[in-house]
This record gives sequence, C-alpha cells and structure tokens, in this order.
Amino acid sequence: MRWCLAFLLVCFLATVSALSSSGSRLLVVLDESTEKSSFSTLWSDLEGRGYDLTFESPKSDKLSLFAHGERAYDHLLILPPKSKGLGPALTPKHIIDFLDKDGNVILALTGKSATSSSISSLLLEVDVHLSNDRSAVVVDHFNYDTLSASEKHNVLLLKRPDALRSDVKAFFDGEGVVAFPNVAPQTLGSDSPLLMPILKAPATAYAYNPKEETPAPEDIEATGSQLNIISALQSRNSARFTVLGSVESLENQWFTASVKAPNGKKVSTANREFAKQLTGWTFKETGVLKVGKIEHHLATDGEVAAEDLNPKIYRIKNETFFSIEVSEYVYDKWVPFELPTGDELQLEFTMLSPFHRLALQPTSRTETSTVYSTQFVTPDQHGIFSFRVNYKRPFLTNIEEKHEVTVRHFAHDEYPRSWAISGGWVWIAGLWSVIGGFLAFVVVWLYSAPIADNAKKTQ
Amino acid sequence: MHLWQATSICLLAAAAAPAAAADWGFADATVAVQPKGAGVNGGFKEQLSKSTPLSKPVSLAGADTLRVTLTTQEGSSAKRPHQAFLLLKDTQSGLDVSYPFTVKENGKSRVELTQKDLPIQFLSLAEPVDARVVLGSFGSSTPYDNSVFSLSIERNPDVPVPTVEVARYGKQPQIHHIFKGSPTSPPVAITLAFVGLVLAALPLLGGFWLLLGANVKHLPAALQSAPLPHAFFLGSLVAFEGLFFLYYTSWNLFQTLPAAAAIGAVAFVSGSRALGEVQGRRLAGLR
Repeated sequence: MRWCLAFLLVCFLATVSALSSSGSRLLVVLDESTEKSSFSTLWSDLEGRGYDLTFESPKSDKLSLFAHGERAYDHLLILPPKSKGLGPALTPKHIIDFLDKDGNVILALTGKSATSSSISSLLLEVDVHLSNDRSAVVVDHFNYDTLSASEKHNVLLLKRPDALRSDVKAFFDGEGVVAFPNVAPQTLGSDSPLLMPILKAPATAYAYNPKEETPAPEDIEATGSQLNIISALQSRNSARFTVLGSVESLENQWFTASVKAPNGKKVSTANREFAKQLTGWTFKETGVLKVGKIEHHLATDGEVAAEDLNPKIYRIKNETFFSIEVSEYVYDKWVPFELPTGDELQLEFTMLSPFHRLALQPTSRTETSTVYSTQFVTPDQHGIFSFRVNYKRPFLTNIEEKHEVTVRHFAHDEYPRSWAISGGWVWIAGLWSVIGGFLAFVVVWLYSAPIADNAKKTQ
Repeated sequence: MHLWQATSICLLAAAAAPAAAADWGFADATVAVQPKGAGVNGGFKEQLSKSTPLSKPVSLAGADTLRVTLTTQEGSSAKRPHQAFLLLKDTQSGLDVSYPFTVKENGKSRVELTQKDLPIQFLSLAEPVDARVVLGSFGSSTPYDNSVFSLSIERNPDVPVPTVEVARYGKQPQIHHIFKGSPTSPPVAITLAFVGLVLAALPLLGGFWLLLGANVKHLPAALQSAPLPHAFFLGSLVAFEGLFFLYYTSWNLFQTLPAAAAIGAVAFVSGSRALGEVQGRRLAGLR
C-alpha cells in the first residue's frame, strides 16, 4: 500500500515538475491553411514540456477562450491568420479579458502579408504600434542571411538579446544567432512601464513596404533600435503578452537551418533554444517569483519565541527585524531567487507615504528560496503603518506584499525616570530640601523654647 | 570570407559588371552648419572623407541647420541605394536615430536637420555623438557604414534642457527616516552648581533659625510627659516622607494608599496626643 502511494506520488511529481507555473492548457490558433506540420518541432517541444495543446481555427464555431465565465485555457498562441481578422471569438476585447484573467498570450506576426486591422487594434490596446500601412518588413543590409536572403536581405540574423538594463535579469540570452525571416516591426509607446522590448532591431535596420519602390524619406517612421522584433507586455496581474514579429522563426525549417551572415561563418541557428526561452517566459516557466514566509519581530539576539513573531503592535523607535522568503520558478522547479547586480529588493515602512525604504539583504538560503531581511528602527510617529514589499521589475512577476501593524506611543512607564535626566536634578534637590525643611520646622515648632523670656529678663 | 568574395566576384563577372561596383560609398560629400539668418555659404563647411572621420566635432547650436550633401556611388559610378541614412549614435547610452537622405536618381543626396528634429534624449548628452553614413541596397553589394564626423549638440546654458520623465520599474532611492532630535539636558556641571545652590538653602535656613534662637530645649520635657505620642507622631511624619520616596521610585498607587492610611491613622491619634502636650506647655506658660 505504502509502495503504491509512493509510486503514485512520484508519478504526480513527475508530471507536475515539467509544467508551467500557471497551468498547462495551451490553445494554438492557426488557420487550416497554415501548415501545422511546418511547426511540428515547436509543438513536440511544447508537449515535451508538459503542455496540452489544442489546435483551433479562428473561424471555428467551437472556439471560445472562456467556459462558464472562466478561462478555458491557460495560454494562447496565435499564429497570423491568412484571412482578415481573427474572427468573433478572438476580438481584442476577448483577448484583453483573457489577459485580465491571468491568461498568457503569444501573438505571432509576419511581414509576408499585411497584418489585419483587428490585430492592429488589439496591439493598440497595449500601446504597441505597427507601421501605418501594417505591411512593413524589416531589412538590414548588414545582418542578413546570405544563404536564404542574398537578394532581399529580409532574414535577419541577430544575437540573442542581453539584459534590457544592467539591473534587469536576462531571460533570453545565450550563444548563437537567431534567424528572423520577414519581421513585422513594432514600436512601443513610451509611457507605460508594463511594456518592454525583448529584442530590438540593430541600428542599421529599417522597415519598408516591399510592395513599394525605394521608400521616400517621409515614409520612414522608425529606424534602428526603435523597431522591435519581439516586444512584451506584463500586465499588473503579471499576465504576459508577447508580440513576435516573425512567425517563420518558429518553423521547423529555421530551427535547424544553417545561416551565414555577410563576412561571417556558416553557423546553425539557435532558433529552437530561443523559442524555448520565449515560450517559456511567456507561459510563466521562467521569471515567476513566489513569496514564502514573511516574518517581522522585535530585534533580538537569540531565537524568537513563536508568540513574539509577527506582532500586531510595535512601539515607536523599536528596533525591528523583517524578513521575506522569495523563490523563482525556472522551467520545472523553484530555486532561490537571486537579485541581479545593481538591483535591490526594497522594504517600505509606510503610512500613506514611506517613512523608510530600505534594501533587503540576502541572509540565508534554503533549497528553494532566498531569505532577504533587514533591521530598522520604527519611526518616531505613531499610527497604522505597513510593511510593504513592492517589487516590480521587467520580465519578473510582481511582488506586492502589505502587512499592517500599529505603531504606538511610549506607555507612561516607558519613559526614562526623572533622576536619569540630569536636567531634573535641580528640581529633585529642591523637593527634598523642602521636605527636609518641613521636618526641621516641625521639630523646631514642637520643641523650641521661647527666647522672649530671656529678652524680657535682660530688659 | 574569401569564398564569399570569390563567389560574389564570379557572380558579378557573370553579370558583366565591374568588380569594384560591389562596394557602396560616396563622393563630393560636405557637411555644413548654417546659422539662422546667414547666407547659403555662411557658417561652417567641411569636406567629408569616405574613410576617415573629421578630427574635430561639428557643433550644432540652437537654431543652426546641419546639412550633409553627398553623391552615393556603387563602386565608382553614381547610383541610388535603397538605404541612405545619416545615423546618429551615442556610443555610451546606445541611443541611435537615423535621418534618411533625400536621394535623387543620380545619387545626389542631402539631409538637413536642426535641434528640433533630434529626440529629446540627444539634447542632454554631454559627449559628442557619432554621425555615420549608412548606405546599403539589396543584392550582393557591400553596404557602407562608417563614422564620418562627430556631432556635438550645443545648448544655450540659460535654456533648461527638456527632459522626459517616463515611469520605468526599477529600484527606487532609499529613504531613511529622520528622527526628531532626542531631548537634551544642560551640562552636568551647571546642573550640579544649581543643585548645590538649592541644597545650600537648607543649612542657610537652619543657620538663620539658630541665629533667631531656635532650639530643642523642650524635647526632654516633652518626651518625659508624653514619650510615646511624640515618638509616634514624629515617626509617622518621617514614615510619610519615606512612603513618598517609595512611591516615587517603585511603588504604585495601590501599594501606597493603604500604607498612607495606616500611617495617617497613627499620625492622627499620636498627633492629637502630642499636640495636646504642646498645648499643655503653652497653657503652663512655657511657650
């Protein structure tokens, strides 16, 4: 019996360990006319990572992202349809609702044909912009594949991107070049911190409409690194929406292709690894953070008793200790979360606005998590405060923790005693000298013999 | 590399084109900075070389117009490329922006730009930016991308540099609460001097009393006539002060009040007797 249970448990763990952190139901939307088999390596890679793939045509009647008001799928992969639009089941509103319900979306585009206006309006919802005529293709006369696109230069050969900034984790880096044929470029609105470029075009790249002759200078809207080949949005609920400019880069043909840059050597592409990184990130296999135990208590040298842990009330100027346990999901397991250099996990002690914002330092590490902690003195202001950890970074799911505590005044018997205050000694001495004088006066009044008699006698 | 060149040469030879035609480049290139209001030939003008950038940075002030003219060539014949950009690149921040040349069919190209055309981010750069000419076209021709001069963007120091504030997720500046200063006491020496003054009042008072003839000459008589009331009365007064001292240092009100009641009862009873004895002395004319 026990063996049986253990076996079942092992089986359960084995299936669980190869899954995304947020579910395995993946809906792939592709036209019937699209060659499903030309992406077969991608499908088998995804199935190998534990996804249950469902294929639907955008025109299908059965297609619905929701069942009984809940998400019917966890993830969505949309390949560019040949027909106009994505149909009534995949309107921009449906897809935004899907994101709102924590679903993750990859939207693949292609520069081969014009992008439909419904996709363009979906992208406008997330402040991602396509070119005006929606049929631009990125070319770069310096980084193209000389074997397959020696004439048109529309197969871009790019290194896998490094970290977006020095204080951001790199999820898409690695060796090798990735081929991106027929890229439909995107530009990003600059206002939103939720948007981030995954892969930018090189500085010498530009976009043009292949149906037209040489582009007029005024037709060139964006060039170089303003053009994005892959861009992503991570919404406030940490749902992920990735726009991939080149659907062909996911095809079997480019997973195994040999390419050669001008003046370069013949190499095989890293598209397959990159596709794993891209789908893995979007479907929450990487860059997912989890908060474990959160502890706060008065700072002490030794162990803290259970009843002194996470008290509801503190006093002003208390030396306080706070710790938070953070894990990161990497493909199939939780590992200790390491901060990128230059970044900080910050604790705020706030009442309306932060009174303290302090860096949490990694102090210990368990098998699956890192414990970050700090120690500080509660401010000299009483009120309802909260310990707040608000960690939002590009490519990482959001951590928003808020734990409310009361901070009270000194109690009447917690102030220093008057004799400990040197300035009060004068008053204390005055008091006791009055008491001494009173006792002396009582004695004199009770027992003093009058001297008036002597005076009378002498008179 | 060699293989590729060889094949390209073969291809070009097959197409009966001169081998040198594979390289994009330019000729008759000039860069000019024309201040506002100056004539066509006013201001700075310099020839550009295909291979070496200008040694000095070209400065572009507030209302100046920068003009780059050149003739694009494939090999040595003038030809129109698909891509003809003036690329400004800041090597430190990695910013880049391109300005397409207006190219005629005969390769004559020009581009003009003023500070208004530049992205705001470029206006606050301290170092000159790299200005490159990028020429490229389809097919096997070798594209051209070289630095031709560096452009320093001069700002009028009196006019604030426009900045863009965009929200990006990242670490925020640390905040450390500034505590109110703790209460302070005057120097201990001063305090002790005043304590001395205050305590000196007691011997001073005693001295004045002695000078006026205060004495305890009736004490033996009082103790003789009513020893217990006097001892208890004085004792209860001292005990009261002791009780106050205990209350001040450690006792709470609930310990103090019963004790005060007990001492008070003793003081009331013994006090009435002791004061009766004092009255007796007064009636006897002794005080």
